[in-house]
Amino acid sequence: MVKTDTHIEEQIRAIFSGDTPWVTIVWDDPVNLMTYVTYVLMELFGYSKEKAHELMMKVHTEGKAVVSTGSREEMEHDVARLHEYGLWATLQRGDQAL
Amino acid sequence: MTSEGFKRHGSNSYVAEFAENEREILINLCEQIIELLAERVDHGHEDPLAAMVGITTHDSPPEDEVLHRLLPNAYQDQADSAEFRRYTESTLRNKKQAHAMAMRMYLKSAKDGTVDLDHDSANAWLGAINDMRLALGVRLNVQERSSDELELLAPDDPLRGVYIVYGWLGWLQEGLVAALMDEG
Repeated sequence: MVKTDTHIEEQIRAIFSGDTPWVTIVWDDPVNLMTYVTYVLMELFGYSKEKAHELMMKVHTEGKAVVSTGSREEMEHDVARLHEYGLWATLQRGDQAL
Repeated sequence: MTSEGFKRHGSNSYVAEFAENEREILINLCEQIIELLAERVDHGHEDPLAAMVGITTHDSPPEDEVLHRLLPNAYQDQADSAEFRRYTESTLRNKKQAHAMAMRMYLKSAKDGTVDLDHDSANAWLGAINDMRLALGVRLNVQERSSDELELLAPDDPLRGVYIVYGWLGWLQEGLVAALMDEG
């Protein structure tokens, strides 16, 4: 019997059990100040200054970064809170290409 | 612009003094944000129960570019985005209006120009200032123009004044963030 890759097995199981993680992405925006983005990530997600700064730098240099992972409902909640503070955020399935 | 910006006073107090012209500019900007968001409110909603629980008839993004930036899409997929917007846009609009209203209230009651914010009201101010910057940023077309280009706007260019206010709001926001992150 062919042994399937455990990683693929996990993914298949996740798809059928409906718990494929979703992700919240923050996109780079020329208006939002770097310190403000860092502060919002600390405030909304409880991230340390170091982690929030690292994510902000990823947004700034790579154009986007995944800032949180969870169920679709949780990510919709996160995106709504990020929009409240004017960050440019979207959510999508974690297995979709960024 | 004469204000020195926000400074931390004690554990939960962020204080700034504004000159009269600065206070007027900020109050005016608060009112413009409140009015702009109000343009998006549904008139003559067909289903009062849906309206009561915050479901709107809006499922397409606002045509106005500024409103679109304040109330952006939550999904890259248009259909998912429309569905999300129908259920959440009015809540987002209300929260943004509440930020601007809180900021206006502080400014209007600051007769001697001194504003003293606690942590929560400081967050409301940050959100409101950011919405103002997003709105002015659309007018200045910051997506396409470099800051060098904007620095070189002629003194008689009407956008020159907009750019000065945009920069000043950024400075004010940066100072308030620094005060909030100051753990000393």
